[in-house]
Amino acid sequence: MADAPTPIMFAIVTTNKEAVHGGMAPVFVAADEPERDRIAMWLCRITNCIAHDLHNGTIILTVNQASV
Amino acid sequence: MSSSGGPIDWSPMIIGFAAGFLSRLISIRTGRSHYPGFPSGYISQLALAIIAAMIGSSVIVALVGKEFTAATFLTLAATQFRDVRSTERKTLEQEEELILVSRGAGYIEGIAITYEARNYLAMLVALVTAVATQYTGIVIGLVVGIIAIVVGEIYMSGPKIGDMIEVEPAKLHFEKGSLLYVGDVMMMEVGLPHSRDRYQKEGMGVILTPKGRRGQSVLWNIAQRQAISHEAAAAVGTQKDVGYPEQTPLCRMDMPKGSGRAGLSILPVESNMQALIQAIKNTPVLEAGKWSALTSPILRRKEMD
Repeated sequence: MADAPTPIMFAIVTTNKEAVHGGMAPVFVAADEPERDRIAMWLCRITNCIAHDLHNGTIILTVNQASV
Repeated sequence: MSSSGGPIDWSPMIIGFAAGFLSRLISIRTGRSHYPGFPSGYISQLALAIIAAMIGSSVIVALVGKEFTAATFLTLAATQFRDVRSTERKTLEQEEELILVSRGAGYIEGIAITYEARNYLAMLVALVTAVATQYTGIVIGLVVGIIAIVVGEIYMSGPKIGDMIEVEPAKLHFEKGSLLYVGDVMMMEVGLPHSRDRYQKEGMGVILTPKGRRGQSVLWNIAQRQAISHEAAAAVGTQKDVGYPEQTPLCRMDMPKGSGRAGLSILPVESNMQALIQAIKNTPVLEAGKWSALTSPILRRKEMD
């Protein structure tokens, strides 16, 4: 608890395909921002993860032990 | 077989028992937040209180009656109270996974220690009172019993957050699009527009400002802040469920600045600022939070003096 949590990037949702490259997390490409937010929220509710907006068209979803 | 010959004087035992039991009863009433408020929880505590007071008060009678075997057995019985702490801890730890805002390990340990210590206190009060009654008579025994209860009560009621930390309401707002702030304390990044809306419409925030060095060292303790979040959520409720982790109540330090203040953000069920502030002020200061008062370099900052 007192240690820094280890966030695990779970998925990436983006409208800007150029800004992300694939890694361990799947990339979901959305057509526009409302669509992106909808996908991000959907994934959050399903997997109990947290969305973080990088403000470059990309939302990352992380699983963060300390915030659960 | 009693070897003392004469009739046994029961008064030390009776007065000692009454004092010990009373001391435990008082802490059941005042320590409400520490206990499960179910009848079964109270019954098990009352039963332990009776046993503890019984042990404490009968030791002296056994010793005076030269029943050393009995006295030894009573001390053996007293050691059984060690298990009380681990039982209480286990119960609370199991509950931890079932509640939305966890108490945190520090708070649980604090509750378990208090729970155990109160039984020992009842025993001690009973013992002191019984000894006084045995050697000085009933009247002085009664007086000593009352003094023991009062002293024990003062000793056992630890400091509260309100004693060393100022709690004030503050406005929730977002900066840079998605950073949640309480007053000027940054809390977290909320990525979902839906959750941001909800925070803006229904969220509540308070700022915790330490009154001095002690208060600041208390706030820097993460277990303490988890306990505060738990008490806050218990008081006004929290709009959180499985799958909504970003709506969890948070208590975070004013971090890039390190000013020693903390913010608390919560999505309450009942928007009652008075109840929220009162609950935070009544949160007990954890023992785990007491150690760092002298060692933390941040406490030597000038603005805190």
